[in-house]
Amino acid sequence: MLKVGFRPPPADAALPRIVPVREGLVPPAFAEVARALRFTGKPGEICEPAAVPRVVLVGLGAAPARHAVERAGAAAAARLHDAPQLLLDAGDEIGAEATAWLAAGIALGSWRFDAHRTRDIAPGPQALTIVTRHRDAARAAWARQEAAVRGCLFARDLVSEPANHLTTRSFAKRLEGLAEFGIHVDVLGRKRLTRMGFGALLAVGQGAATPPRLAVLRWRGRFAAPPVVFVGKGLVFDTGGLSIKPAQGMETMRADMAGAAACAGAMLALALRGSPAPAVAVLALAENATGAESYRPSDVIRTASGRTVEVVDTDAEGRLVLADALHHAAGMQPRAIIDLATLTGAIVAALGHHRAGLFGNDPPLMAALAAAGEAVSERLWPMPIAAGHRADLDSDIADLRQCVPSARGEGGWAARFIPDACHAAAFLRDFAGDVPWAHLDIAGVDTAEEAHPLGPAGATGFGVRLLDELVAMRFEEPDHHAPVARAGLTV
Amino acid sequence: MPDIAFVKPALPKTGVLVLPLTEADPPAGLAQQADEATGGLLTRALEAAGFKGRKGQSTTLWALGPWTKVIAVGLGKAADVGPEAAEAAGGAIVPALSADREATIATDTLPPKLAAAMAFGATLRAWRFDRYRTKEKEEDKPKLERLVFATPGIIAAKAAFAPLRAVADGVFLTRELVSEPPNVLHPVEFAERCKGLERLGVEVEILGPKEMKRLGFGALLGVAQGSAQEPRMVVMTWRGAPKGKKQKPIALIGKGVTFDTGGISIKPAGGMEDMKWDMAGAGAVVGAMAAIAGRKARADVVALVGLVENMPSGTAQRPGDVVRSYSGQTVEVINTDAEGRLILADVMWYCQERFDPRCMVDLATLTGAIIIALGHEHAGLFSNDDELSQRILAAGAGVGEACWRMPLGDAYDKQIKSDIADMKNVGGRPGGSITAAQFLQRFTNGKPWAHLDIAGTAWSGKDQPTIPKGATAFGVRLLDRLVQEMGEEG
Repeated sequence: MLKVGFRPPPADAALPRIVPVREGLVPPAFAEVARALRFTGKPGEICEPAAVPRVVLVGLGAAPARHAVERAGAAAAARLHDAPQLLLDAGDEIGAEATAWLAAGIALGSWRFDAHRTRDIAPGPQALTIVTRHRDAARAAWARQEAAVRGCLFARDLVSEPANHLTTRSFAKRLEGLAEFGIHVDVLGRKRLTRMGFGALLAVGQGAATPPRLAVLRWRGRFAAPPVVFVGKGLVFDTGGLSIKPAQGMETMRADMAGAAACAGAMLALALRGSPAPAVAVLALAENATGAESYRPSDVIRTASGRTVEVVDTDAEGRLVLADALHHAAGMQPRAIIDLATLTGAIVAALGHHRAGLFGNDPPLMAALAAAGEAVSERLWPMPIAAGHRADLDSDIADLRQCVPSARGEGGWAARFIPDACHAAAFLRDFAGDVPWAHLDIAGVDTAEEAHPLGPAGATGFGVRLLDELVAMRFEEPDHHAPVARAGLTV
Repeated sequence: MPDIAFVKPALPKTGVLVLPLTEADPPAGLAQQADEATGGLLTRALEAAGFKGRKGQSTTLWALGPWTKVIAVGLGKAADVGPEAAEAAGGAIVPALSADREATIATDTLPPKLAAAMAFGATLRAWRFDRYRTKEKEEDKPKLERLVFATPGIIAAKAAFAPLRAVADGVFLTRELVSEPPNVLHPVEFAERCKGLERLGVEVEILGPKEMKRLGFGALLGVAQGSAQEPRMVVMTWRGAPKGKKQKPIALIGKGVTFDTGGISIKPAGGMEDMKWDMAGAGAVVGAMAAIAGRKARADVVALVGLVENMPSGTAQRPGDVVRSYSGQTVEVINTDAEGRLILADVMWYCQERFDPRCMVDLATLTGAIIIALGHEHAGLFSNDDELSQRILAAGAGVGEACWRMPLGDAYDKQIKSDIADMKNVGGRPGGSITAAQFLQRFTNGKPWAHLDIAGTAWSGKDQPTIPKGATAFGVRLLDRLVQEMGEEG
């Protein structure tokens, strides 16, 4: 993570320099070159008008919006990626808040994952000096941003790790490392999971050489109240199990733990900025492997909630591990549960790579999530759970089945297409109980095939900044309607 | 179709009696009389049968009192009984009456409007398509000829039912068009059937390949060129707005691929027979015009349908072809099975240019992806206009044709950039329905527009309360309601 320092003007160091420009306000020194390069300061514009030292102008538009400013910062960082140190000349026109957004963009855009390269490493910028007249205000604004950025990059690192390095055990170990930030970490192993009846999580993990884990991360916050709980799907690798996936593209399944990584990153963000809100993350970690011990299509498993589930497709494992994790979360009587999961291919067919699917049982919570997503450019779109979606999950043999078998032409043209994202959400809803709950299907947005506006190709860290923003917007005051919270205040 | 009659409340002396009952309430009115006439046997029998009056519940009691059959049908809680519950109850009794010629329905405790709604529901459910059955045994055919609704407000019920009957006729026209096999209903025949709307006062104009070629409908004609059947575009105009209150028309546009093989990008064989209903958007638009004209809506509405057959052949369009649409924009055809948007592109541009409408609403069985996204209970709604969206969502909710709004945006639009033309006709699997809508949006010329992707809702694999299995005519009632709310207000 980039080291960020602040200095008052003048910006005299001979470092590669980023100069943010509001539309029509190109600094006179660069006016001529900028004109030649057709740079006017619109969002998305970038140019390099001087080579020694290097100067990069980035456009912010006429009324700089947060997402445009962050993107400008990230674009500049990508352009100057071979420079070890950078200088951001915030000038007179850029306020403290926008300066922090620029820094966030630069930090996100500078991130690379080089842990497994042994040569030709381009480490990218390590330090950023920000020259601004609003030094104290900018430093304070950055302190708020930095926590979420670090959380996001923590998640990106986890998602990037290949599955031979990030096993369920080593994932749990890295989560235990969060203790140094004041997060209490409890990792439940196979014995305790068996005792507690986590049949779904255990079934999914039973074919693998490394055992499943349930990691529970707790941030106390500053007031006594029921927590907001994040639930994350953490499949360190997903072969599909006996319903094995096609070989092509299977390598991307190392990222099938992006939901858990995002929840962990959000917990880190809350801890780093000392959020007053009590929060918990319940992360279901498993590897879905093929083996003699693997669970089978047609198996009936007993979930922690007591409900029995008929397995139709072992590659629909995410909803199974989440079923147990959600049940565990609901038992904490939380203010809300938000689960994040790379759950279905269907959500990619539905919404592509530009929005995650938002499902839930509580419209106000869903509206807050959508607003938080807009604020941090991690966009969501509400999706339905219709009566028929749940009815489709009726099983001949158990309380419900986990998904609907694919039809392959039987039953007409339309039977070829299965609303699996909606089915999955309908399935999960049964395990969230009466708690306000929302489910983010992030299968389309957890990684990017090509460089994206806030970073290189690969892990995006989607969800961390969104959850942090949600907590800041909605959960940092005790809930005066909840009787448990009132009682808690006297503790 | 059974005749509908409204009569003064009185118990029939014999025959079949239908009792719509609310949940947890004792029988009132005729139902109470019937109970008394049987010495309380009715209530005891219903209790024994576990009948509670829940919405959708129905129970048949045989040989009770003087009646051969008494059917109790649930309306749900009294406080929640509205048109939807009444329609559903009306629909629910139809299968139970298939062997009877006549039945009396005791709607005397319901407002006349709801008696009409129940009659409407029964009418919708009683429709069947048996044109091609030649060997059905007489005893297997439904016998129902007349449904008699007992109501104290005969005049009000009749007045409420008349426009609903017109809407039902629109629904039936659509269901028939959608059900017809593709060797019978090709574009030429479809256009001929549109002509039938003239007797309702709709102006019908048919354009053939010559006219469309002269206009420059390169996108639509490209799709049609592989078929032996000529394409058609039909323009239907209803001028119902009162003089002195002339307004820009509301425009309805429908995709009418009378059969879609996929063309050179041919579809898998399994389920291809369903592609006869790839004209359900056009079917719905034509049915909506029948409803609107049938009830003499006081609004100006135009409807345009593009009718083609998509076939593989030596003359068929190829993947890789570049076509020039009527708008002048060029399209690289990547997948010949993404043909609906090509047809709509030319029809939409023509519509906005000729009519400058208040808004355009297109209906199309456009993408399988919309089923993956939403399933079968919502149509996908895409729009560049929030107010129009709200109106469509409300109209759909009001008539039991639910829609769900889906996103649009520049990021999705980028997926249909072409290396060689202004755009390509597919944007890949991710967000497949959204990129289809982005494609259409490029042919709106910025006018208020909404697109309903009805691929998941046009056909029902199972019976629903007011819809027999098969063609649903999704969109007819929604469009009719939308015109009511938008065009006839104030």
